[in-house]
Amino acid sequence: MSSLIEDSVSAAFTLRARSIRKSFGGTEVLHGVDVDILGGRVLALLGENGAGKSTFVRVIAGAHAPDSGTLEFQRSDGTAESVAALDPIAARRRGIRMIFQELSDAPDLTVAENISLGNWPSRTGMVTWRGMRRRARRVLANMGVDLDLDAVVGELRIGERQIVEIARALSDQATCLILDEPTAALSAEEVERLFAFVRRLRDQGVALVYITHRLDEVAAIADDVVVLRDGVVSASGPAGEFDRSQLVSAMVGREIGAVTRPPATSNSAGPPMLVFRGASSPRAFQDVNLEVRAGEIVCLYGKVGSGTAEVADAVFGRRRLSVGTMKVLDGAPAKDPRAAIAHGIGYLAADRQREGALMTRTIGENLAAPSWPRLSRGGVISGTRERRAYERWSRALNIRAAAGAGQLLGSLSGGNQQKVLLARWLERGSKVLALVEPTRGVDVGARADIYAALRDMAADGAAILVATSDYEEVVQLADRAIVLARGRVTRELRGDEITTETLTDAAGG
Amino acid sequence: MVNVGATDPQTGPPEPAAAPTSTSGPPAERRKGRSAPELAALLLVLVALVIFFWLRSPYFMTQDNILNVLTAIAVTGIIAVPGTMLLIAGQVDLSVGSGAAFCGVLMATTAQNHAIFIGVLVAVAAGIVIGLINGVLVTVFRVNALIATLGMLAVLRGLTEVRANGGTVLLANFSGLGTARPFLSIPVPVLLLIGIVALAALVMRHTVFGRSLYATGSNPVAARLVGVRGSKMIVVAFVLSGLGVALSGLILDSQLSAASPNAATGLELTVVTAIVLGGASLSGGRGTIQGTVVGLLIIGVLNNGLTLLNVNSFYQEVASGALLILAVSFDQLRLRLAKV
Repeated sequence: MSSLIEDSVSAAFTLRARSIRKSFGGTEVLHGVDVDILGGRVLALLGENGAGKSTFVRVIAGAHAPDSGTLEFQRSDGTAESVAALDPIAARRRGIRMIFQELSDAPDLTVAENISLGNWPSRTGMVTWRGMRRRARRVLANMGVDLDLDAVVGELRIGERQIVEIARALSDQATCLILDEPTAALSAEEVERLFAFVRRLRDQGVALVYITHRLDEVAAIADDVVVLRDGVVSASGPAGEFDRSQLVSAMVGREIGAVTRPPATSNSAGPPMLVFRGASSPRAFQDVNLEVRAGEIVCLYGKVGSGTAEVADAVFGRRRLSVGTMKVLDGAPAKDPRAAIAHGIGYLAADRQREGALMTRTIGENLAAPSWPRLSRGGVISGTRERRAYERWSRALNIRAAAGAGQLLGSLSGGNQQKVLLARWLERGSKVLALVEPTRGVDVGARADIYAALRDMAADGAAILVATSDYEEVVQLADRAIVLARGRVTRELRGDEITTETLTDAAGG
Repeated sequence: MVNVGATDPQTGPPEPAAAPTSTSGPPAERRKGRSAPELAALLLVLVALVIFFWLRSPYFMTQDNILNVLTAIAVTGIIAVPGTMLLIAGQVDLSVGSGAAFCGVLMATTAQNHAIFIGVLVAVAAGIVIGLINGVLVTVFRVNALIATLGMLAVLRGLTEVRANGGTVLLANFSGLGTARPFLSIPVPVLLLIGIVALAALVMRHTVFGRSLYATGSNPVAARLVGVRGSKMIVVAFVLSGLGVALSGLILDSQLSAASPNAATGLELTVVTAIVLGGASLSGGRGTIQGTVVGLLIIGVLNNGLTLLNVNSFYQEVASGALLILAVSFDQLRLRLAKV
């Protein structure tokens, strides 16, 4: 079996990054980073948001030029080469490919076209369609994937699109593949499949750099680990020499315990605030029964696409039921988000960037927006009132903003942004919260702050529904857990029944 | 070889997110700055232009000429102020120039058979209707604002020619609005502009309506999910733009004592240049009324100064086009720096 992937084995890839420094506008993000990237090994690159992971791999991929430091390549013939910076073309020529977190495919084109995107097989300037299909078939076969070459990529599932992107990266002599949080949007099954490719590539001699947030993935896939914290390497070595708590403390700089259940709360006897009875919504969920009482945190757990997010959307008036009933605070379902807010419902969308944050506006405005009707007098609103709203909640949520309420939201880290968006509903006094993936892309420290705030809200009598695909979140947060698979409730768990094992088991393979 | 460099628990946790400089990464620093430094830079450009023309032409800094500059930008400004609100909400109105001509001709032809004030009412009503149509096209039918108002530009110019029968319509007894100088010998249009600017600046800063426009322009989906009625706000902003257009059309009539169907041709170019130069972003969510005022002044000073220096007016047109491209390039640069 000869293939382009096989060819890459001939040159074992070795890149030693030494003393890499990089600043943006006077802020140094990398303070002299040393990392070795070796062929035939999987390097897990860990760190909280803003630790410098993405900046570092972009230096390797030629997207950023470092301010100082060297990139030392070892050639197969024993000679060495040292460069101060790469540009994207130079990085490409050395076989370095990067798969970004966000999909960068052409959704209107077919699988075959996407695999040859930007590098079309051609004869005398004309694209040869047969060559394109042949290449796609070969690459996919080598990856052990069966995908329809003529399928339009935009119609595939996220996991499959990611596979197409990887196939594109591998379609020509890749010797070093960088994956930036590739599993964020994948189901458990798709993650397994991805891991299988990664291992296969490693065995073929490719150097893999795997950026992740999730520590359980390190044990599953990594040979080596590098942890970045605040732009320096805070831990590095073979993956087997670290346990989970060592990695966490290297990431956050302090001890954080293992995933444990909080002590059971006694205040779960409130009246039902949110009730679903036999509720269905087309292509989302079927026959869902659930109840959230005042003072209770109920987690809806399921893989991405299992319908959990859609249930939360229905609570907030973003989605209608076709069958069944829903009651929120003794009222009928809200017809739109505006009505839902007025009715006392709060909501966090899964995609903070696209559906939550007003990045170009201040923290104060972001926090106060749902409360504008209350904070204004005759349509006039004062900055002072907004500032006070911020001051009311910044301490409770531990929001860290150097310039306070007047700072632009976009200048905060992801965790702090999410805290501001959550504070919206504290300020609004919402009694029912529907939160979708409330800690996605949020670092460990901020996550603990958000969990604490949610507990306090529940203790004050709020009914909280959390739709999540992160089982660790369920274990740490839920008073009760409801598991969804393919839009149907498969199991309801309470108290000590909620463990990572029972959850993954109920969510199905 | 294990090398765990975690902070000693005794020394306490570090403060990773204490300042945007430490954890929030590269975008932090650049985005933190609000529009203030940009406005300062613009003001610097304006001052430099003023000094340059002052040195080259002794007439430039006379009271008469300063009022000339202000009068010249009044009509543009009365449209650019609601235009700024629109762009902040992520929309644009290109129909303003032909809209002003349409309202002007409508007023003058109506006044031929009816009282002057009926003509004024008809023109104002036309402005409101134009704004409503634009707003509904953009929000209900979801036509891209650029295209909807570009179509409206052509429609209105055509209707204007039809209404005016291709010729200029004379108009008597209506010169007060455009030429009277009731206060410190400042012409009425300039006073109107000052009033509109002050009002709009307050509205954008201190009202729920202003905040809602910013929120909608910044992220329409997120704005809807915090209860902002973006579509309604956008329709209102288009209507305000229509009102500005009607008022400008009336001022033009009054200044010339006639309505020309070719009036205000290409005005949209100047309006958009002033707005974008003033720091409002084509992608919405950013910009200030104050910025637009400075943008207007830069354009006004440049045109006036070049005329005083006897620069061929064709070159002035080249300059204004180049200025627009420059302004948009700065906008793009700004966005790119903010992203990285």
